[in-house]
Amino acid sequence: MRIPIQINENSAEPLYHQIETQLRSLIISGQIEEGTLLPSIREFAGNLNCSVITVRRVYSDLENEGLLRTRQGTGTFVAGVGDQAREHYKRDAVIEALRIAVDKGIAVQFSEDELRELFMEVVREKYETKGGR
Amino acid sequence: MEPSVIEFRNVMKRRRTKTIGPIQLSIPQGYIVALVGPNGSGKSTVLNMMMQTVFPDEGEITWFGESYPRELPISIRKDMGFVPEQLSAEEQHMTVDEAANFRASWYDNWDGYFFDELLSRFDVPRGVKLRKMSKGERRKFEIAAALAPRPKLLLLDEPSSGLDPFAWKLMIDQLHKVMKSMDTTIVLSTHIVDEIRRLADYVILMHHGKLMGMVEKDSLLDNWKECWIQGDASIVEELPGILSSRQESTNTISFITTECLEVEKILQSAGIPFIQTRSLELDEVLRIWIDGNIPANVQK
Repeated sequence: MRIPIQINENSAEPLYHQIETQLRSLIISGQIEEGTLLPSIREFAGNLNCSVITVRRVYSDLENEGLLRTRQGTGTFVAGVGDQAREHYKRDAVIEALRIAVDKGIAVQFSEDELRELFMEVVREKYETKGGR
Repeated sequence: MEPSVIEFRNVMKRRRTKTIGPIQLSIPQGYIVALVGPNGSGKSTVLNMMMQTVFPDEGEITWFGESYPRELPISIRKDMGFVPEQLSAEEQHMTVDEAANFRASWYDNWDGYFFDELLSRFDVPRGVKLRKMSKGERRKFEIAAALAPRPKLLLLDEPSSGLDPFAWKLMIDQLHKVMKSMDTTIVLSTHIVDEIRRLADYVILMHHGKLMGMVEKDSLLDNWKECWIQGDASIVEELPGILSSRQESTNTISFITTECLEVEKILQSAGIPFIQTRSLELDEVLRIWIDGNIPANVQK
């Protein structure tokens, strides 16, 4: 299958990291199902206009995380993400996003209290006025 | 690291007006390597030495770990496909089928069905003599003939010159296809940025007969960037790989770096975010590299 990944060449984020983050989130969110055969390394590199070195690195990182598994001679498959693991990953993804938001606050010299207040304000705005999800 | 298909050790070739080398080079198996550089930088000579249509004056070349200073054995040669820049004159009077039969007699691994399929994909007329063909048709025949024995090593000297955009796209697709077998290696010389972008894993730059180094294509794109941050020259002075910088306003400075990944780490730990970053175009990268600025992670 073709994997919907968008590369932003002008981002400061390295290519392998962009691909890895997007592929991970497609797998964890269940948009790519367990057992799906991913494109070969060369095919994927061709689709993304990047080198096989980059794709190999992404596959091997995600394999080490247990999200992919490679069967000799057949290719690379999406491994089963257990419910517990999925919750775990979801949690990690949110924590990561919050870290970035807090870093941003620190960069513009907000105090801890100011950040806390802003955080609560955004939470209220999203969950109450717009109904959350 | 993968085994190398071809290695150059201290290879020199003296031409009437210039000297190529000394060249140290190792082509890793299973990759597409783009050989780039201005006209006359020695790319064709390097490819011809790989094919042994030109012999070096000094140094040693090895194929799959063995050196063959007199002649490449058939067992090696049959696994190599070559599209030279100067197409041979000796087949001029032959038709496509005659030339194909001639070549098939050299290659016991010639795949006639695959060759036929490529010709019809490329829409090459078969009954015509090679000298009657347009430049693009002849190029397409040469590419099909180079691919037909399913070689392990493909050497392509500006393969796309003369191709229309449709044929060019077909060629790119075909080259991706032959690379599916993981032990196939391609070395191609090119001036076309989009070709490098779509095909290359590694880029080798040549200039005035010298090899300026080999680097992963993605590392070039990841590292050579124009960045905007808040601050002034005192911050930029501390950063690695800076080529130039400009104070855009009292509080904003832009700079070009060849080590963006390092720069990002440093800025991040200092709590300075990028306002904006932009990848340099490959042609900008190559020009700056030719000017003597060495990329990060270069293999020399």
